[in-house]
Amino acid sequence: MAEVLEDVELRSETLSDQPWVTIVWNDPVNLMNYVSYVFRSYFGHSAQEADRLMLLVHNEGRAVVASGGREDMERHVEAMHDFGLWATLAKEGS
Amino acid sequence: MIPFARDGELVTARFTPGERELLEALARQLVALLEERAAESPADVLYAQLGIGGPSAPPLDPAMARLLPDAYRGDAGAASEHRRLTELGLVDRKVANALAVIRTVSTKVAVLDQGDVQAWLRHLTDLRLVLAARLQIEDDGDEGNGDEGMLDLYDWLGYLQGTLVEVIE
Repeated sequence: MAEVLEDVELRSETLSDQPWVTIVWNDPVNLMNYVSYVFRSYFGHSAQEADRLMLLVHNEGRAVVASGGREDMERHVEAMHDFGLWATLAKEGS
Repeated sequence: MIPFARDGELVTARFTPGERELLEALARQLVALLEERAAESPADVLYAQLGIGGPSAPPLDPAMARLLPDAYRGDAGAASEHRRLTELGLVDRKVANALAVIRTVSTKVAVLDQGDVQAWLRHLTDLRLVLAARLQIEDDGDEGNGDEGMLDLYDWLGYLQGTLVEVIE
C-alpha cells in the first residue's frame, strides 16, 4: 500500500514539474556579438556558453536558452523581447 | 571613426550634428509608431496603470509585429493572453529607451551611464528591426528591396550597435 502511494506521489510531482523552455529563434537582423552579449549579461552565461548558444541559434535556426517553470520562462521571453531578440516559450519537448 | 569610447563606468559618444539630428528623428519616429500601437488598446485606466489590459492580437504592421512578437508559437490562445498582459509594458519600455537616446544624443558629447547604454543597445536593435521589415530583409544574407539610402542607414545603425557592444565588453 505504502509503495503504491509513493508511486502516485512521484508521478504527480513529475507532472506538475513538467519543465518549460525559452527558445531564441534566428533572425537576419541581430548581430552575433549582440546576441552573445545578451546571453552573457542576462542569463549570466560564460563567454564560451553564450557563444555556443549564439552559434546554435545562427546555424540551427533556434536554441533552447533556459528551462524551468512557466512563469520564469514567460519572464525570460519578455526580457528577450526587450532586447529585440525573437523568443518564445513552450513545454519541453513540444 | 568609432563614435563610442569607454570612460571608466561611463561611455562617451561623439556624433556630428547631422548624425545627432538623424538619431533623434529616428527615435521620435519609433516613439510615434509605438504610441500609435498603444493607442489601439482599450483605454481602461486601472489596467493601464498596472501595465496590463493591452491588445490581444499581434500588430498588422510587420515591423511592429517583429518589435512585439508572440510569446507562444502554435498556441494562439496563450499568445493572446500573454500579449494582453504584457504588451503595454513592453511598449512603455521601448518608448523609454527611445526617450533616453533622445535625451543623451542632444549634447555634443553624449555621456552614457550603464542604464543609458542598455537603452541605446535596445533602441538601436528596435530601429534595425523596423528598418529590416521595411527593407524586407527576412533571411540571413537578404540585401533588401533596393532602397539604398535605407540600407545604408540600416548598416550604419548596425555598425553603431556592434561597436557599442565591443566598447562595453
